[in-house]
Amino acid sequence: MTRILTALIVAAAALAQEPVAPTPETTGPAKGENTGDYNVVDSFETGYRFATIGGSLDNYRANVNYGNGIRLLNSFFSINSRDGHGKLFDQITLTTEGLGNDPYESANLRVQKNGLYDYNMNWRLNDYFNPGLVTGGASGSNLLDTRYTLQNHDLTLFPQSNIKFFLGYTRSFQDGGALLGIQAPAVSGDTIPLAGNIRREQNDYRLGNEFTVFGIRLNWFRGWEDFKEDSPLTLAPAAGAAPGAYFNRFQPYHGTSPYWQVALFSQKKFYALNGRFTYTSGQRNFVVDDLAYGLNRFGIASLETLTQGAADRPVATGNFSFSLFPSENLTIVNSTSVYNIRTMGDSSFLQIGPAFTTPSFVSYQYLGIRLVGNETDVNYQINHWLGFYTGYHFTDRNISSILAANTPTYSQDNQLNAGDAGIRLRLANGLTVTLDGEVGRANHPFTPQSDGNYHTFGGQAQYRHKTLSLRLASRADYNFNTTSLTSYSTHTRTYSAGGSWTPRNWVSLDLSYSKLHIDSLGGIAYFAGAFSPLVQQSLFLSNLHTATLQARFSLTRRVDLFVGYSRVQDTGDGRSTPTDGPAYATLPAIQAAQTFPVTYQAPSARVSVKINNKLRWNAGYEYYGYQDRFYNYNNYRANTGYSSLSFSF
Amino acid sequence: MVAGGLILALGPETAPLCADTPAQPALPRGYAGSNACRVCHPDVWLNFYKNPHFKTLALHKTPPESTGCESCHGPGLAHISAHGDKSKIVAFSALAPARVLDRCLACHGETLPRATIRRSVHTANDVVCTNCHSIHKAATPRYLLARSQAALCYTCHDSVRAQFDMPSHHRVNEGVVQCSDCHNPHGAFDPTWRMAARPHMVNQALANEEACIGCHPETRGPFAFEHPPVRVEGCETCHFPHGSTNARLLRRPVVFTLCLECHNGASGFGRAGAGVPQTPLTHNLANPRFQNCTSCHISIHGSNADAFFLR
Repeated sequence: MTRILTALIVAAAALAQEPVAPTPETTGPAKGENTGDYNVVDSFETGYRFATIGGSLDNYRANVNYGNGIRLLNSFFSINSRDGHGKLFDQITLTTEGLGNDPYESANLRVQKNGLYDYNMNWRLNDYFNPGLVTGGASGSNLLDTRYTLQNHDLTLFPQSNIKFFLGYTRSFQDGGALLGIQAPAVSGDTIPLAGNIRREQNDYRLGNEFTVFGIRLNWFRGWEDFKEDSPLTLAPAAGAAPGAYFNRFQPYHGTSPYWQVALFSQKKFYALNGRFTYTSGQRNFVVDDLAYGLNRFGIASLETLTQGAADRPVATGNFSFSLFPSENLTIVNSTSVYNIRTMGDSSFLQIGPAFTTPSFVSYQYLGIRLVGNETDVNYQINHWLGFYTGYHFTDRNISSILAANTPTYSQDNQLNAGDAGIRLRLANGLTVTLDGEVGRANHPFTPQSDGNYHTFGGQAQYRHKTLSLRLASRADYNFNTTSLTSYSTHTRTYSAGGSWTPRNWVSLDLSYSKLHIDSLGGIAYFAGAFSPLVQQSLFLSNLHTATLQARFSLTRRVDLFVGYSRVQDTGDGRSTPTDGPAYATLPAIQAAQTFPVTYQAPSARVSVKINNKLRWNAGYEYYGYQDRFYNYNNYRANTGYSSLSFSF
Repeated sequence: MVAGGLILALGPETAPLCADTPAQPALPRGYAGSNACRVCHPDVWLNFYKNPHFKTLALHKTPPESTGCESCHGPGLAHISAHGDKSKIVAFSALAPARVLDRCLACHGETLPRATIRRSVHTANDVVCTNCHSIHKAATPRYLLARSQAALCYTCHDSVRAQFDMPSHHRVNEGVVQCSDCHNPHGAFDPTWRMAARPHMVNQALANEEACIGCHPETRGPFAFEHPPVRVEGCETCHFPHGSTNARLLRRPVVFTLCLECHNGASGFGRAGAGVPQTPLTHNLANPRFQNCTSCHISIHGSNADAFFLR
């Protein structure tokens, strides 16, 4: 029984289609060891990763990015007070993954003492290869390493009391290559955007409190978000350039967004109410100072361009829900949402040079959004096997915009009426079926892609019996907008099926298949070497098939084997060459981009051998293969793997 | 049966059976106290001190009926007297989904993350607490999830798992990003973008911003020149949030076809209501230099220096 349970748990963990390492098999006694009044569980896995890549290293780094080296693949540590009365703490848990130069690293820490405090921290690092400037299969270019680091700290004081206090801090830091917003002239006559090291930093401090008064629980937060971007750039004179020619940019961009959030809750036998109000006073101050010095065709020239200003974007939101429970089986909820956003400010634009001496002022483009929405939902369980829900949603949104000073205010209203309904069936022991649909009509969508005249419908069936689990799902999402060029429509259909089965106590299987179909037809107008625009249609068609197969075997009491295979294939619209498709648009470049057949596959295998109760040896291999049909300079194949030891203490 | 008999012989107010077990005060009628449960459920009992719900026992601040096993499973004396009859106690595996929700929300209802749980998509589809949380056999010490978070969500959302298997994806499978970074599985407040109706279950960063802003603050603004769809309709206008076969999670393999879908001059759209601006005559799209819009329109999420997002 234990082995079956273990197999199920491991199989379930494998469902996540994680990379082949770290190893999910645990080492050591799960219950840990008692030390004094505490119980301690400790394990870690360390080993060596390797990767050999053929083809486009850049694309491999953009998609996968695992490299060679020694890693602390994962670790787990917990210490728990056995009587709940530890002196300084009752629980510490620390989990880490990928430390030691993996591109994806994380650590989670929790320390808490019952009734006194609860501290949670998570830290993450995402080191990815920034896919540079140019998109896609046609001419993707992957250029630069960018590193995101995020850390989040939350401390709750008196977590089990009626009066709680919250303190929090979040910091995100982005360092590495990215586009700077600077374009430099190239010999060809084009301008080339420059990439360089950017430094962006966001700090979010918050504190709050929760208490109960007159039977209503009140919760408030006060936060301060600070953002700073400061990426100066100086270009040294290029070879052959005029002596002393240089370019310098200084662009500090700082701001703060103090915010409030107040919420209330009350829950009684026949009703519940809750509400939330938030207000954010977003402010940003910026300077962009470009100084260029060098030769132009008239001789030595210099130009300084200075743009500076301050921006405000206050955002106010309110949500209020009133829930009624007339009977045990009936719930009625009415919710109202409002939000109001205004973007405004002032800025100036100054060019200093031989031909520019006076400043000109740039008007902020005012953008205001006001929205009021109301929704009523009814959820009724008719009997133990049949239930349904339905809802109606109305939203009114006004957008107002002033593009420049002394120009009229544009105003646009959009009303959405939407309704949804669903049914739940428990047809037999272990079989559940849900069906749902939604219809919406918006009278003034903002963009052709926005929700206009849309409807969705879908269903899901799940069957569970002992060690077998099966599921089927389908969903369609259709949206239509009428434009003056042509009807814009997009159809999305997904079909998926999956299952898990443990036929014997030494083997478990997981299968998953999904098909995602997208077709999007829209009117486009563009110039292509003529003075009249070409008014045509763009049809994008994608048929994405994704399959995952995973099997786990306990070969003996000591040896566990895992094999997996994942495949993503977009069959596109069936064409064999980039310009062989339906000629909705005459421009070959558009025809070539209207479908993107690609295959991406990742077979993997892993063996884990239990040497003794506290030690395991693990080895794994995963192949990554990327191939798009029309272009070959982004294709790659990579053999990755690892060998590791898992220890427990 | 023997165990049941032993418990009955000892009585409901059995003395603590090990040093770790807190003593219990007098019990109301029908209650047996948590100590009584250990005889038949030793596997649960022996590890219960690692469970967050152990606090109710350790702190002695809640009344006996809201403490330990019986706070969730109800009075246990009849269950013991009937030699473990499952129908004599609240067994979550036998409860209707709505009742599971009621029992958990009795303690966990009045919190901000669960404020909209009564109308969430999960609740509407009978996905309730015990579908995701395993109180006694949790795979994660925090939140007591039945599996690791991504594996748990993939259990029902096969099509989402497929999206995270795409070549370009948020690093969920790699463990850096969690589903709950962007989603609230208990139900979220209406979004502050689009028409506040869809998408469902998406968290808000910094109190009222789209979830993406939490990790991508440079796109937040405010900017002197906002790219209005970013603010009005949200990031999904151009990006698939989960995964894509296209670089940077874009909806199209080449960026200019994406841009042209809006920038076609069609009337009735855009903030001026007179059409989203068309690409100008100087942009000869037959020339490859104009086929990578964001090479020049670098600050496409918004700019402080240029109305056309050139810098």
